[in-house]
Amino acid sequence: MVDDRIYEVFREIGRDLYVGNMISSHGGNLSVRLGDRVIIKRRGAMLGCLKPHDLVETRLEKNDSGVALASTELLVHRAIYKQTPALAICHCHPRTAIAFSLSRDELVPVDNEASYLLKKVPVVTEEFASGTPQMANKVAAALENYKIIMLRGHGSFAIGQTLDEAFHWSSTLEESCQIELAAKMINEPFIEYRGMSDAYPTF
Amino acid sequence: MNGWNGKILAIDLTNQTYEICPLDMEIARLFIGGRGLGARLLWDMVGPDVDPLSPDNVLIFTNGPLTATGYQTSNRFSVSTKSPLTGTVLDANSGGFWGMQFKKAGYDALVVRGKSEKPVWIEIKNEEIIFHDASDLWGMRVFAVTEKLGQKKNKRNVLCIGPAGENLSRIAAIMNDRERALARGGPGAVMGSKNLKAIVVEGKNRTPIEDPDRFKFMLYETRKLLSASPLTSQALPEFGTVVLMNIINDIGALATRNHQQTQFEGAEAISGEELTEKYLVKNAACWACPIACTRISKTDKVEGEGPEFESTWAFGAQCGIDDFPAIIEANNLCNDLGMDTISAGSTIACAMELSEKGYMDSDLRFGRADQLASTLESMAFRQGIGSDLADGSLRLATKHGHPELSMSAKGLEFPAYDPRGMQGQGLLYATSNRGGCHMRGNMVGPEVLGLPKLIDRFQVQGKSSFVILHQNVSAAIDSLVVCKFTNLGVAEEYFARVLSAVTGVHYSTGELIKVGERVWNLERLYNLREGFTRKDDTLPPRLLNDAPADGPSKGWVVQLEPMLNEYYQGRGWDENGVPRPEKLAELDLADLVERN
Repeated sequence: MVDDRIYEVFREIGRDLYVGNMISSHGGNLSVRLGDRVIIKRRGAMLGCLKPHDLVETRLEKNDSGVALASTELLVHRAIYKQTPALAICHCHPRTAIAFSLSRDELVPVDNEASYLLKKVPVVTEEFASGTPQMANKVAAALENYKIIMLRGHGSFAIGQTLDEAFHWSSTLEESCQIELAAKMINEPFIEYRGMSDAYPTF
Repeated sequence: MNGWNGKILAIDLTNQTYEICPLDMEIARLFIGGRGLGARLLWDMVGPDVDPLSPDNVLIFTNGPLTATGYQTSNRFSVSTKSPLTGTVLDANSGGFWGMQFKKAGYDALVVRGKSEKPVWIEIKNEEIIFHDASDLWGMRVFAVTEKLGQKKNKRNVLCIGPAGENLSRIAAIMNDRERALARGGPGAVMGSKNLKAIVVEGKNRTPIEDPDRFKFMLYETRKLLSASPLTSQALPEFGTVVLMNIINDIGALATRNHQQTQFEGAEAISGEELTEKYLVKNAACWACPIACTRISKTDKVEGEGPEFESTWAFGAQCGIDDFPAIIEANNLCNDLGMDTISAGSTIACAMELSEKGYMDSDLRFGRADQLASTLESMAFRQGIGSDLADGSLRLATKHGHPELSMSAKGLEFPAYDPRGMQGQGLLYATSNRGGCHMRGNMVGPEVLGLPKLIDRFQVQGKSSFVILHQNVSAAIDSLVVCKFTNLGVAEEYFARVLSAVTGVHYSTGELIKVGERVWNLERLYNLREGFTRKDDTLPPRLLNDAPADGPSKGWVVQLEPMLNEYYQGRGWDENGVPRPEKLAELDLADLVERN
């Protein structure tokens, strides 16, 4: 039985992802790690209006009946938990960031907030970009060094100690990409205002 | 590999000899330095047959690859030994200047074993090691010894014990740079048992850095982050750690009168605001630290460093005392006597409760500020009832038939946070390898300050995951070694990057935290080898059964059992708290256990 406090956090962040245009009606997923267990969104559930029964609890290391109900992305969530110190994962489909991921191998923010918080977001490529072991391994490996990464053409995976934190990185990335898009539309020369920003790609 | 010196100085006090040994670089990669390196060396050197106060125990002083590089707070160092207070593995770390100087002397670790026939002090000037007769220093207090041996801020630094260490008080600290302390668990008594009064270091070496450009970038980013955090740029510089007094009291988690209450009516009078307004002379900083949380405070009688939050609490709320000058003077006296302020204050509080309830024949009473100084003196010199108090609250309370009145875990007195108002802190205290301690994954970050994000402090389900992660991160930071306060503004990913830049060995964030997990498990194995079991991962009955009658934590006790079960599972340990073979293999510890 999932604690009401934990459900409440899933419900609120799931709603904010949908309202914030970070997912479609049935897209994205959230999970948290509780020791050797994982609580993850039920497959097909709508993050924007989660009910208590939409949260599924399963094992981290091996299967149990929970896997029959869990999100199709359970594999990548498990891989991330096994390879990183993450206690929470936010996977969503931020539209502008996805658009930039189609043409770039890394997203280096130009705005202050994302420069401060993220420095650089690598873009990972995988032909079968959903639910496969290959994709799970690539995403998890990238998250060993970064708190948020983009899967090209698919979406972002962010990790944190809490869902709140992982959501923070996700929304910061999308906001940053929207600012860069707006700047490109203005199409005027960029005036550098940050110190040592030329080192960001090495982060 | 850069960062490490690649050398260990091993001193035998019995014969007054020394040798310089190579550091095993595979051990360095796996355990880094500081607490991790100390635990790894201690595992091989001190087994369960060794009495902590015998010549066979060792003192292992360690620094880390970041020490003395100039990275923010890269001044800290660590001591590892078997604790005479708890019998557990022990490490304690300290700031100031000595650690930086010790690294510049050219060593990653200093191992001291044996026992000198007469009092001795050691002078280390790079490869020149000199043993001096310390007969004239024996009996002297810390401030006097530090001055006499020529303490000079960035040039020559003194580490010593005071009367408490000489008299084998099990809560004696090792002091450095006059007022910094390797405090917890009684390392000062181990040094006293070896007749070692002081170690003075002078060094000339610079620590080479593998990737200076990347290092410079990390320095820049860290400075930016520490400047941006209100905690590290405003709260700590302006109020010191005592800024926590009102915050912790307001949420009903300030242990009061030996944990009989969870709020103190006199908290405002001993708050950070009060300290700054009435007693602060100026703030000060350890080497290479931009935070500058150190207080230089003054009363009519004394002027000196401190007090920290925990010391203020220990002599304040825990003893029912709101007389700030008396607290500052008690803190100052503890520094001069060389004694752990947390254990000293909490042991006095325990004696006050024992006395008030008629279990102990003394006139100690809660609220009696006038009794602090004389009691501390009697403890350091083992006079009268002070002789019993000198060995900590658990031995004291047990002697008087009421061990349950010792507010400790594994015999180490708790700090200020009453875990009935912070469930995670309760689990942390119960599982901390050196006993009841907040510096082994302090949950005040996530449960109170919202770092990195606020979690429900009364939540039980899932809380163990946070405790495990914070314990691992804490062990990693202690192995670098840097100050945990940097982690208030700088996330672990920065530490991993700066470590990689300095050493040339790539550490991902996950790999750095894995080092912390490895250290934690090795410490656990050490305690298991000493005979500790699941039954020792517990708290006093008061915290498990007696809910506060009022205040914000009203009705709550620590829900330890469900959290502990979840904790063991999350750690990959069996139901008795023993690491499973697959976990040991994952952490590269399996061979170590098999060889043992």
